[in-house]
Amino acid sequence: MLDRLYQKVILEHNKAPNNFGSMADATHSARGTDALCGDDIQMWLRVTERTIEKAQFSGEACAVTKACASMLTEWLEGRGVDEILPAFEAFQALMDDADRPPVEALGQLNHLRSVGAFPARRANAYLPWKTVLEAMQIPSGLT
Amino acid sequence: MTAERADKDVRGLDVEAIRREFPILQRRVHDKPLVYLDNAATCQRPRQVIEAIDGYYRDYNANVHRGVHQLSVEASEAFEAARAGLARFLNAPSDREIVFTRGVTESVNLVANSFVRPTLSAGDEILITHMEHHANLVPWQMLCEHTGATLKVIPMDGNGELLLDQVSELINERTKLVGVVHVSNALGTVNPVADICQIAKDRGVPVLVDGAQATPHLNVDVQALNCDFYCVSGHKMYGPTGIGALWARAAHLEAMPPWQGGGEMIEHVTLDKTTFNEIPHKFEAGTPHIAGAIGLKAAIDFLDDWGIEAIAEHEQRLLAYTTERLSAFEGLRIIGQARAKGPVVSFVMEGAHANDIGTIVDHFGVALRTGHHCAMPAMQFFDVPATARVSFAAYNTLEEVEAFVAALERAQGMLKQ
Ligand SMILES: Cc1ncc(COP(=O)(O)O)c(C=O)c1O
Repeated sequence: MLDRLYQKVILEHNKAPNNFGSMADATHSARGTDALCGDDIQMWLRVTERTIEKAQFSGEACAVTKACASMLTEWLEGRGVDEILPAFEAFQALMDDADRPPVEALGQLNHLRSVGAFPARRANAYLPWKTVLEAMQIPSGLT
Repeated sequence: MTAERADKDVRGLDVEAIRREFPILQRRVHDKPLVYLDNAATCQRPRQVIEAIDGYYRDYNANVHRGVHQLSVEASEAFEAARAGLARFLNAPSDREIVFTRGVTESVNLVANSFVRPTLSAGDEILITHMEHHANLVPWQMLCEHTGATLKVIPMDGNGELLLDQVSELINERTKLVGVVHVSNALGTVNPVADICQIAKDRGVPVLVDGAQATPHLNVDVQALNCDFYCVSGHKMYGPTGIGALWARAAHLEAMPPWQGGGEMIEHVTLDKTTFNEIPHKFEAGTPHIAGAIGLKAAIDFLDDWGIEAIAEHEQRLLAYTTERLSAFEGLRIIGQARAKGPVVSFVMEGAHANDIGTIVDHFGVALRTGHHCAMPAMQFFDVPATARVSFAAYNTLEEVEAFVAALERAQGMLKQ
């Protein structure tokens, strides 16, 4: 189970995250913190006509949060703003049921379904999503 | 030093016999023996505490102080015996000076609302330290916000030791109270409370001490410390959750107005007016946590039976051994290196977030704590978002330290991949 959480792909994103660093010409940005465990990230988006051209993140966080932020920024590129919330809902559903088949639309984010077996760590996988939604001012329904 | 050799050094405390007193230590976690190193958050309960609580509910459950019937008499006696036991444990001059609360948090809030608030005005000052638990920080912040008073802070150095020479300058005629944690839960530092009391008392300023992490590891003597208020949490010292106490000088308690109103704390009530019960009862509104107090008494007996000095000596050995073992890790930094420490080791490791360390070692049966330990200003001082922390109790062993170190090696290896 531990090996599934800390599988190679997650560890690689943790060690060498994609799209890491702040963005000078971001149109939308938000900070996401989980004081309890010490995650503190900033999600950066450049949006033109409801399409995300570029997404980046910066900050300090655990492997789960970092891997998720790294994968999510890749996933976001070229997507429509309205795709984010449905994708997050599908992502949460995956967490609740690891036996569910992968959701094609989520791409490599499917790897993070193993977090579902670690209830104490789910908040880490949700943080980048919630922060992006906050940056776009889309209510996520999660607190 | 290997665990085996070090174990031969352990004299005085029969740790194996102690372990047999804790049913939960039989548990397995993720199919590994439980290695419980989260004692600073809450420690485990020995059989005698569990049985004392069970015995109250089974044999003499009744409300206290209000009944003439036999069960109520027995419950009242046990409840008051717990008060007396705690008074003796802290070397308090009188049982009347022990007020039962839910724990340190409620004790601090009681002092804030009943002792400090009535005389606090804009421009007055409260002095605390940079390493306070939120329990001895947030109530003062709230009070200051409400009254326009100022919260000042005794700074610390890079080892996590208070800069004692600044205390004197930080106290002035506007200082209404000094609040200090006896033993820091986040850093381990044992603060020189008696010295701080001396400085404050010379200036006529009362001192409150947060003893949450001190009572399980140190012989606490409130008269020798010469403080004014001492706060205790039962669940940090082998007792139940939801029970703790405030020790305060009788003169303060007499002068303080009650905080919460209700039954138990009154002497006489008419629809127009109430006269209050005598101390400490005027601060114990409503039905108290009777089982909790009785359990706490059993916890004190446990500490007395095994001897707090022998326990502390054993824990200090675990602390030294752990510190030595962790120092060998590449990229590991111990947060809090005071000369005098309680059995707490907080650390960060390069390339390994505390959260991931916690999850990985948990899978080897090792329970440790990660995060800010409710001492966020201390984390900010060391510029770390979170630490991993191991903390020891009487039942921990050098083998358990080895199991933790092995699990940590695995975590480091795994995250480095
Ligand atoms: C130093 C310190 N002070 C205060 C507290 C709060 O104790 P309680 O939650 O029992 O009120 C704790 C426990 O977390 C602590 O470690």
